[in-house]
Amino acid sequence: MGSKIFKLVGLSAIISSLASAYAAVPVEGGLGFQPPATELAQEVHDFHNLLLWIIGFITLFVTVLLIWVMVRYNRRANPVPKTFSHNTPIEIAWTVIPVLILAVIAFRSFPLLFKQEEIPNVAESEIVDVKTYGRQWYWSYIYGSGDDEIYFDSNMIQDAELQPGQVAKLSVNNPMVVPAGKYIRLSVTASDVIHAWTIPAFAVKVDAVPGRLNQIWFKVDEPGVFYGQCSELCGINHAFMPIEVRVLPQDQYETWLERVSESTAAGNEYLQTVQPLAAQVASAE
Amino acid sequence: MSSDSATAAHGGHHDDHSPSLYSLSRWLFSTNHKDIGTLYLVFALFAGLIGFAFSGLMRAELFETGFQVFEDGQQYNVITTMHGLIMIFFMVMPALIGGFGNWFVPLMIGAPDMAMPRMNNISFWLLPASFALLMLSMFVPAQATGDATGFGGGWVLYPPLSGTVGHGGVAMDLVIFSLHVAGISSILGAINFIVTILNMRAPGMTLHKMPLFAWSVLITAFLLVLALPVLAGALTMLLTDRNFGSKFFVPAGGGDPIMFQHLFWFFGHPEVYIMILPGFGIISQIVSTFSRKPVFGYLAMAYAMVAIGFIGFIVWAHHMYTVGMGVELKAYFVAATMVIAVPTGVKIFSWIATMWGGSIDFTVPMLWAIGFIFLFTVGGVTGVVLANAGVDYSLHDTYYVVAHFHYVLSLGAVFTLFAGWYYWYEKMFGVKYNGMIAGAHFWLTFIGSNVIFFPQHFLGLQGMPRRYVDYTPAFEYWHQWSTYGYYIVAVGTGIFLIGIIESMVRHRKAEANPWGEGATTLEWTLSSPPPFHQYNDLPRIR
Amino acid sequence: MAGAAVKHDYHLVNPSPWPILGAAGIFLLMLGMATYMKGMFGVPSGQWWVMLPGAVWLTWVLIGWWGDVLRESKGGDHTGVVQISLRYGMVLFIASEVMFFVAWFWGFFEMAIFHEVRADPSQTDLANLDLEALQGWSSWPVLQVDGERVKTFDPFHLPLINTLILLLSGTTVTWAHHALQVGDRKSAKLGLLLTVVLGLCFTALQVVEYAEAGFSYDGSLYGSAFFMATGFHGAHVIIGTIFLFVCLMRLMAGGMQPQKHLGFEFAAWYWHFVDVVWLFLFAFVYVVPHLVWPGGAGAH
Ligand code: HEA
Ligand code: HEA
Ligand code: CUA
Ligand SMILES: [Cu+2]
Repeated sequence: MGSKIFKLVGLSAIISSLASAYAAVPVEGGLGFQPPATELAQEVHDFHNLLLWIIGFITLFVTVLLIWVMVRYNRRANPVPKTFSHNTPIEIAWTVIPVLILAVIAFRSFPLLFKQEEIPNVAESEIVDVKTYGRQWYWSYIYGSGDDEIYFDSNMIQDAELQPGQVAKLSVNNPMVVPAGKYIRLSVTASDVIHAWTIPAFAVKVDAVPGRLNQIWFKVDEPGVFYGQCSELCGINHAFMPIEVRVLPQDQYETWLERVSESTAAGNEYLQTVQPLAAQVASAE
Repeated sequence: MSSDSATAAHGGHHDDHSPSLYSLSRWLFSTNHKDIGTLYLVFALFAGLIGFAFSGLMRAELFETGFQVFEDGQQYNVITTMHGLIMIFFMVMPALIGGFGNWFVPLMIGAPDMAMPRMNNISFWLLPASFALLMLSMFVPAQATGDATGFGGGWVLYPPLSGTVGHGGVAMDLVIFSLHVAGISSILGAINFIVTILNMRAPGMTLHKMPLFAWSVLITAFLLVLALPVLAGALTMLLTDRNFGSKFFVPAGGGDPIMFQHLFWFFGHPEVYIMILPGFGIISQIVSTFSRKPVFGYLAMAYAMVAIGFIGFIVWAHHMYTVGMGVELKAYFVAATMVIAVPTGVKIFSWIATMWGGSIDFTVPMLWAIGFIFLFTVGGVTGVVLANAGVDYSLHDTYYVVAHFHYVLSLGAVFTLFAGWYYWYEKMFGVKYNGMIAGAHFWLTFIGSNVIFFPQHFLGLQGMPRRYVDYTPAFEYWHQWSTYGYYIVAVGTGIFLIGIIESMVRHRKAEANPWGEGATTLEWTLSSPPPFHQYNDLPRIR
Repeated sequence: MAGAAVKHDYHLVNPSPWPILGAAGIFLLMLGMATYMKGMFGVPSGQWWVMLPGAVWLTWVLIGWWGDVLRESKGGDHTGVVQISLRYGMVLFIASEVMFFVAWFWGFFEMAIFHEVRADPSQTDLANLDLEALQGWSSWPVLQVDGERVKTFDPFHLPLINTLILLLSGTTVTWAHHALQVGDRKSAKLGLLLTVVLGLCFTALQVVEYAEAGFSYDGSLYGSAFFMATGFHGAHVIIGTIFLFVCLMRLMAGGMQPQKHLGFEFAAWYWHFVDVVWLFLFAFVYVVPHLVWPGGAGAH
């Protein structure tokens, strides 16, 4: 087993560096976030790395202190206990220093939060609106409105029907498709119970709540395939309503939009020709 | 039916000779805080073993992709939900508050018993009633139609999954009633503790001389009295939504499922401190005893707990960053949540400062205590990561959260529970445990639970969602580690049970104070086990 | 220490069967309620009698339990320090009740303040929500599920009278209390009787008012919040009335001393608590909606 760990950890590092732009999937033995696919996700990762250093340091500090007192002040090393129980300067120090550390965290945390939250103020032509419904147990996607409305359901591929390149429990029959380089504004709601829409590589997650309309945004610069999974307990098949997002170059996206407005199957067929999954697997290996 | 005994006039009639251990009425009708404490502990042990077995089913299911143990997601969800509810309401709370609180709050403050001994007893007996309702729920219909049974909506009970839409059957109604009853039990118990501590301290024992364990129970009891009724209200709304057509959480009708979450977490966040504060108190006693040094910064320690309890009431929505709140609101909750790290840090560092300069004995309870300080820090700092909404979007409802809360609960609260167990074992049961067996229990649990839960951080970062019966193969690797860790803990738990049996069979007579001069609180001035009624002549504190 | 005579004033209660019997009673009652609501063990839903065994059992336990408490009180077990304990206990119990009402007010306030994030009650087809119209209740309370308009009460008719009744009853109970303290048992009885009667009047008027509501319990969140909040208040009024009535009976039977009458004190505290809750209800559940939503005024 030991050697397996090293192999896996090594492999995961390679895959994550190779596949960063094209596909984001969890990897066996992976230790950290999936590779970021948006600028914001990159910022989240950077912030998380900072946090990891801070909490790592705090934990280490506490550990070192514990080891020190265990070694230095055990019964053998120090047979006669001291009797002090106060030391004002040090008490002030361990109150003030954590406050300062938290201030540093907050200093990074708030700007990031506001940036994630507010849909950038760009021309409407830069924005693509998509709506999605979480349902027991699949997602429905809606593009456009009125007579031009395009609607399709997105169901998980059962294990027995997986095609080469598809990922078990992550691939779906009709993925959501968006153009690269545009601001995607996703409106999310649900029709029965609460679900949650997420793509780890975009660092977004939002609940789909019946009777409420939530919005998130993301902008993916490079085309690729991205996976997520329903992230709010929604019943028996909660584990089986994944999310697949295909990011296409603008021109291909427009063609896909035309095809899919004829029929879902036609759109899908086009998608498989411009972005075949099997090839992707090959390129990653 | 008890009128004859009830009219017995006050004073002088109470026998100091304890009734036989085998007298049924001693246990069923008890008004003795130590007996009731024992009942709580036995109950918690029993419930804990069930919760433990359920976590084993989950780990076995998650060992590989595909279905191993369960037939479908519903069964898995039911077991997960029950695991969470049992561990929280029927293991940790009864053991730490009902068990140790009952046993040692009166002993430590120099009181002959609890203020309301009879109410104390119903606080206990409501728990088996509540537990029976919960267990029964697993076997009755989940939906109005179909064969599925049990409630599988998570311990947080979010509607509409817990409403008619998600679980229209009687199972959820039983869960609601179960929690109503558990809530009444806790509120009555909490009132009892507050009254006892405020009104029955021995002459001379001012609040500022009271041992920190009693302080911790006092604060916990206030949290219970203020938080649980709100849960009761939310549950009642859920009940009427389900059965009488009210529209509190029903969007068709103008209700809002998110409102339930606000009400739930207004209770739920204080609840997590309810589970850890008594543990903080226990650790303070143990660290001071075995360092043979008074607690460092006693007042700061007490008021840090007050601060944690207070701030605990104003941070609840950090569980709800993804529901679609306004950004200003989120920013507020981020800030408020992080503030709790400060008083908690005061506690961690004061424990270390108590050991500093001390003369430490590495007894079994001290091992658990030191293990706790380390592991709780690990769990606490991941909490600070989660507090940042911007990062929580990526981690919410993933195994990172599962790892966080097991570090503070299963490796935090449970470690304090075992620390207290070994600290007071001789005192409570009048026999000595075997140090080798107890040590093995500690090391196996320490190693095993880290193997279970540390890899779950990695799973969470990689995106593995919570409450999944099955997953994509890439997650298998760390899940297997996690399950192996469970087996290690299982061996440890077996040894724990053997240790109990061994100590009872060998029956090594306990000492009044096995821990020497470091043990300064009042319970150590009594025999082990203490007389049936202690302090007939109240102790006087200088 | 063992064998030493008891030298303290605390009350070490004798073993008692009531707690375990009470827990069993609650268990039965809960089972009965679940069976009534959904049907279980082959009993169909809607059979109200299934709740009887638990209810009767529990009533028996309560009578037995409190009977013991009264006997102990008469037997001298309630020493000074024990009385302090009981007082603390009652205060904390009321505090927990206050928090229970916080939940119901929370439901109401959240709707009042954040109504625009909620789906309009007329949006009943969640599978095909009109996403644009999801902007919620533009003002509140507007429509019910059935499309009818919610007509709020005019607070300055019956509700105002009820407010005055409760306030008056607060004064009568205080009168009774003072009378008891100075040993004027006759006035005490009269004051208490008046309080009970006023409590009954309140309940009766509330029933009349419910019958005239211009909205229904299951019609919208507004209706649910209104009826549950005022309904729980009403239930507390009834419990408080019974509590006061028991005190009256004890007073008539010669119980209650000028120096020591915990039962009376607690009933009075409870009554004031119920009174204060009503003032909040009146202000926020009746008056505020009436003022901020002019369309609802004087519905009929
Ligand atoms: C005993 C129980 C317990 C305790 C004590 C805590 C303590 C904390 N918790 Fe935890 N938490 C849970 C039990 C607990 N939690 C549970 C059960 C859940 C999941 C519920 C569910 O969804 O099912 C949860 C979930 C949870 C979430 C929601 C995650 C999500 O669902 O997305 C968050 C987010 O803010 C959070 C934060 C915190 C913080 C900041 C603390 C802090 O109190 C921690 C403070 C401690 C320290 C920080 C370490 C010691 C301090 C120092 C050494 C000083 C120096 C440190 C710094 C300067 C950082 N917790
Ligand atoms: C105190 C709380 C507590 C404790 C101790 C544990 C202990 C354990 N839990 Fe816990 N768990 C929860 C609270 C707890 N859990 C909650 C709240 C959830 C969320 C539920 C939900 O999603 O709704 C959860 C969910 C949860 C999941 C996630 C399921 C999912 O999301 O799909 C998993 C998966 O591995 C898991 C595993 C385990 C394991 C292996 C242990 C092991 O550590 C078990 C080892 C146990 C012990 C070592 C203690 C045994 C104790 C006794 C025998 C009592 C002793 C008593 C006396 C001495 C008086 N738990
Ligand atoms: Cu949909 Cu979980
Ligand atoms: Cu919390």
